[in-house]
Amino acid sequence: MRDSGTTVVELTGVTKSYTAGIRALDGVSVTFGSGSFTAVMGPSGSGKSTLLHCAAGLDRPDSGRVLLAGQDIGGLREPRLTRARRRRAGFVFQSYNLMDSLSVWDNVLLPQRLAGVRPDRAWARDVLRRVQLDGREHARPAQLSGGQRQRVALARALAARPEIIFADEPTGALDLATGRAVLALFREAVDDLGTTIVMVTHDPVTAGQADRVVFLADGRIVADLTEPTPERAAAQMMAVVAR
Amino acid sequence: MMRLALSTLRGHRGSHLGTFVAALLAIALLAGGGLLLASVLTARPPADRFAAAAVVVAGPHEVKLTTTTTKKKDKVKTKVKTETLTGSRTLPADLAGRLAALPSVTAAVADVAVPVRAGTPDGRVLRGADGAPVIGHGWASAALTPYTLRSGRPPNPGEVVLDADLARRAGDTLVITTRTGTRQVRVVGVAAPDGRDGLPAQGAIFLADADIGAVAGTAGPTAVALLAAPGADTAALAAAVRDLAGDAGVHTGADRVRADLPGALPDYIGPISIFGFVLGLTGFAAVFVLTGTVTLSVRQRLRELALLRTAGATPGQLRRLLGAESVLVAGVAALGGAPLGIVVAEVVAARFRQLAVVPAQFEVRTYAFVLVAAAVAGMLVTFAAARLAGRRAVRIAPTQALTETANVPAGGLAPRLLVAAVTTAGAVALLTFVPLDGPLGIGMSFVATALLLCAVAALGPLLVRLLTGPISRVLGTGGAAGWLAALVTRAERRRVAAVAVPLVLMFAVNAVMLLNNALVADLAESEQAARTAPATAQVSMPAGLDLGTARRVAGTDGVTGAAITLPTRVVVAQGGKPQDYAAQGLLTTGTAPALDLSVREGALGGPETFAASAYLTRQHGWHVGDEVPVWLADGHQVRLRLSAVYERARGFGDLVLPAGLVAAHDPAGLVGAVGLRYTGDVPARLAATVPGVRVTPALGAGPAGDAANQQGGWELLMVISLGFTAIAVVNTFAIATVSRRREYAGLRLAGATPGQLHRLALREALITVAVGLTLGAIVTGVVVATFSTAQDGITRIVVDPLTYLAMIGGVGGLGLLAGLLPIRLVVPRRSLPALEA
Repeated sequence: MRDSGTTVVELTGVTKSYTAGIRALDGVSVTFGSGSFTAVMGPSGSGKSTLLHCAAGLDRPDSGRVLLAGQDIGGLREPRLTRARRRRAGFVFQSYNLMDSLSVWDNVLLPQRLAGVRPDRAWARDVLRRVQLDGREHARPAQLSGGQRQRVALARALAARPEIIFADEPTGALDLATGRAVLALFREAVDDLGTTIVMVTHDPVTAGQADRVVFLADGRIVADLTEPTPERAAAQMMAVVAR
Repeated sequence: MMRLALSTLRGHRGSHLGTFVAALLAIALLAGGGLLLASVLTARPPADRFAAAAVVVAGPHEVKLTTTTTKKKDKVKTKVKTETLTGSRTLPADLAGRLAALPSVTAAVADVAVPVRAGTPDGRVLRGADGAPVIGHGWASAALTPYTLRSGRPPNPGEVVLDADLARRAGDTLVITTRTGTRQVRVVGVAAPDGRDGLPAQGAIFLADADIGAVAGTAGPTAVALLAAPGADTAALAAAVRDLAGDAGVHTGADRVRADLPGALPDYIGPISIFGFVLGLTGFAAVFVLTGTVTLSVRQRLRELALLRTAGATPGQLRRLLGAESVLVAGVAALGGAPLGIVVAEVVAARFRQLAVVPAQFEVRTYAFVLVAAAVAGMLVTFAAARLAGRRAVRIAPTQALTETANVPAGGLAPRLLVAAVTTAGAVALLTFVPLDGPLGIGMSFVATALLLCAVAALGPLLVRLLTGPISRVLGTGGAAGWLAALVTRAERRRVAAVAVPLVLMFAVNAVMLLNNALVADLAESEQAARTAPATAQVSMPAGLDLGTARRVAGTDGVTGAAITLPTRVVVAQGGKPQDYAAQGLLTTGTAPALDLSVREGALGGPETFAASAYLTRQHGWHVGDEVPVWLADGHQVRLRLSAVYERARGFGDLVLPAGLVAAHDPAGLVGAVGLRYTGDVPARLAATVPGVRVTPALGAGPAGDAANQQGGWELLMVISLGFTAIAVVNTFAIATVSRRREYAGLRLAGATPGQLHRLALREALITVAVGLTLGAIVTGVVVATFSTAQDGITRIVVDPLTYLAMIGGVGGLGLLAGLLPIRLVVPRRSLPALEA
């Protein structure tokens, strides 16, 4: 919880509609502080993923402002948006999104290669050791288990030293024990490395690992819980659903 | 299963589009080629000159050889092989009289047909409609069609009646040349068949019956046609005629037209070989491409197959699903492909008519069985390819559906190696044992190419693995895109192979055809130049030159040497099979040689002798001094002694016979060219003594008209082949790219800009194209080098640098374009990454 005073991402009055006038986000304003671990919860269709995508610059809001590390990314066009995103942010998805044709090592270095910077190999080795994949550098994703793949994805996100990591249901495809191990790594990244994490989840136990839980319903923020426990997160979630 | 297949089809229109396109084009090409071949095989002579006759008797138009072999257990096997003649044996002069005595015969007409070169007195050549040959007959033959007089009167000696079509272009006087000489005749009448100006594909000149024998130079008629009383029993009459006619053919009904002089009927031998080749080439390319496309699209759907396995589908059910789907897709494609095939056939036929590869009367007939056969073949190939590709894919573990990637269980190296070994051995055997300098050379070099392509396709992933290493190290340098392209192409060998193989096909098939044809044309031209080099000039006459006049030309004051050549065709037997060859009658005069055939052994000339090309001598195992039976154009058999073996046979002929023998036995029997050696003002003297003569420098005598036509046919064939293989290349690239949406989305999320993905695609395409061109160049090199060595002992690989570079540039450029265009659609430059994986 260092430097939680500075803001890494700031959304102001962000609105996003998809077809048929359904508002996925309806004037959302929220900030994520540096070195914080925030979970975003809400029922299906509440706009959790849309919030994450807009905050990360993967989707463009209809109105409102998104500041990523002080840079207004709402008005950026490709390819400048991608450049801004890959410099500041890392991603971990439920479906891993690893390149099948690359080895673990090449996958971890991929974002830096794409950014055209000299890959920090010592750091990448360190990160792989932290996620307990040292020795598997030359394996292909297809040869790994789900938990191992998600750890590769996390190592890839961390290797580029991003200011923030966006995670969308990172434990969704994993069993309980594997999911917990991955979450512990998230926690470690925040506590030891000072990384900022914004994570979408529907699981109160997962959310309980975060420093803060933001609850969404119908595209609005309806609750904001700090220092959550799985029980409090579950109770709040029940309340949101019951609304 | 059909219901499931239908619904997966509806759900995956995109992924089946590639198979559909390939099947549609394959079926269209198979149907088109099949229709052309069937039409040309069944093409009947367009006109029946004997329409009014009940029965026609004609000398045999073919050489028939019967061989009897005794096999084990005293089984006697009799084989009959025939070869068509260009001329016809004449019938006994008294046959008409004997046949006239048969009951119900009202008249027996002795018909003479002789090819005639006709011209106006000022040297203008007169041809039939659409450049058809002009045939001379006696006036009695007019009744057989019948031609009736429109104006004027029947001809007396020295006079002629023309058909109405010729009459339009002729004046009052006509110069006609046959092998017996040149005559000036007066046009006294115009005759025409009922309702038209002339018969299609042959112009008719009627001479006086007293003249025709002398003009044709034959002892008897070429046919005897019987006119019968109305209501006579034709079958009974034909039977009675057969008893009297000996070995001559007796023709009735639709068959009567075959009694006409072979030279008077359009020749379909050239078109049959070209259309056979069209069907062979497009058939191979179509099957090859279709198999590759189906295999690729099955592999793209592994994940979906695994999902079906999770849902409880057995491998057997998946196999049936793949089979049913493929048959449905190919069936729908056939609905469009078969009609498209008719269009293809019509377009090709129209162009071939323009190029005079086929006679102007050639028409494409729409045979339903050909269309059905093409559709069934397309469906069978698609089905077989889907089952083959699905063989291992359906055994995919259900759990693979849950993982990010679905991989076909590896293995199956042994069958790949086996296929490659067998096809390579086949290609090597062909290239080693078939004499590539013979008439089958071009065709066999294509078959060898096809076999090698099959080997490349079977070994694809292995070969790609060997090549992508070094190639990607060179082409993958610099930048993240290059680095990534090198890694991806090295990892995705099967995909690179799938995309590269159509490039190999496109390069190899077309380059081999283009280079080999260019080589043959070059060699023919240089041999022609070398043959005629000793001559000061070549003398020819557009309106026709008979041997007698040619002798006068050779005897002109100042001429020191002359070589008179008469083109003809002869038949020689090999192992009981009569085979037809181009030949020349040759007469040399003077002391200085005017023709250099590059005689390797023996000496040209001498009565009752002939010379043969080195190729033919080798084929038949002849030695100088051997006596060989040779059938001349009219079927007359002579025994000649081999006196010389010569080298320069290209564009000339494989046998050289005495000129007098050819003139006597070829109904056309006219001189092709006279090579002259002289000093002084011979051309001026010639112009005075032989009007209409054309004197050209020895060099620059172009190829014969026939060869030029064939060349046009080959060029069109190349266009078809290039077009189809180009579509296959684009199609394969599109399938491979579209199925990589997920991968591209993942890369975008990992921080790749759209520009980087486009550069990645360019680098990957560069590597793939380099792999394809390398393999293509290897296949081409092997075949062309062997072919070239067989021609003249010189090993060439490039043959024609300009053609070679154009092929590399064209195929490479197309490959790059095909690699870049689809990704521009999948990954637009100004959009956010696709998130739904």
